[in-house]
Amino acid sequence: MTEISYQDLPWPVREDITAAQRRAWDRLGRAGTWLTGAERIAIAEEARHASHCKLCQARKEALSPQGVSGSHDHLGRLPALEVEQIHRIRTDPGRLSRSWYFGLRDDGMAEERYVETVGVIVTTVAIDTFTKGLGMEPWPLPTVRPGAPSRQRPIAAKRELAWVATLPPADAVGTPDEDLYAGRPTAAHIYQAMSLVPAEVKGFFDLVTSQYLPPAAMTDFDNEYRAINHAQIELVAGRVSALNQCVY
Amino acid sequence: MTRDDAGGDGGVSNGGRLIRFATAVLGNDASELAAARMDIADAMGGAALTDTAAVAALFNAIDRVADATGIPLEDVKAAATVDFRAAIGIDDFAAASEKGGVP
Repeated sequence: MTEISYQDLPWPVREDITAAQRRAWDRLGRAGTWLTGAERIAIAEEARHASHCKLCQARKEALSPQGVSGSHDHLGRLPALEVEQIHRIRTDPGRLSRSWYFGLRDDGMAEERYVETVGVIVTTVAIDTFTKGLGMEPWPLPTVRPGAPSRQRPIAAKRELAWVATLPPADAVGTPDEDLYAGRPTAAHIYQAMSLVPAEVKGFFDLVTSQYLPPAAMTDFDNEYRAINHAQIELVAGRVSALNQCVY
Repeated sequence: MTRDDAGGDGGVSNGGRLIRFATAVLGNDASELAAARMDIADAMGGAALTDTAAVAALFNAIDRVADATGIPLEDVKAAATVDFRAAIGIDDFAAASEKGGVP
């Protein structure tokens, strides 16, 4: 069993970061809402493997990713449709398009699995990039735990805000998923993005709170909460997002 | 905010160091990343380094949440940043016209 620990590093890592990453790693190996623990780990492995895919490298260098055809270098544990999803999100997220997403849907991609797969990929990326930044090897992926997905889709989810269906905060009130928004009538779009699978929102934003800032601290410019200040945090965030060509 | 070097710092204290690290952690040059890491640790301290790594890593992930789901920027944020986004070229990103719900 992998236990994430940064005690041997020459630099201090906040305990809340370690604790949140441990919770995320534990959750990664367990059955989710639409995926088994084995599927979630296979997705995380494929996300790591995507960095070595020659097709993805060729597409990344091309004027348009659609202009390069071929087969992904993959681990052979997931359907081709999911391999395409994982590799594109991992290696070239800034050029994902509406037509690409709906092409996957037309080919049979279930949007609930798609959204949970996004959650697995970004959890892996958040922790792998952190270890890379500190000069460490990636943590071994967690052990697969038995169990079946709960397969519960929010009853008020609908497709109007994004490519994927989301759960609008106002519509969540009175449903089993109203705790996702803690009764608030609005929420940032980024918080709503994976709300088709509420467990992925809760899990990922546990990492957001520790690796970035708690919600109340984001706009509290009278106080500083980290070893780098608000302006420095946003400079780092902005640089990363610019390199990823993220328009959000 | 204070400038602490000749340029490239975004007008933020130690900005050049932070930009260097954020760039390196997304790249493939291990020696450059190691140098960027030590530069922050030496100049700003170990806690600043690990918090910088945490933010960079988190945004490398959350960018993918936005881009993979097609979530749009909130109207109020888009309106407030229209000049800024045009000026620094964000509107030229491939995904700029792709976000939002039902086509």
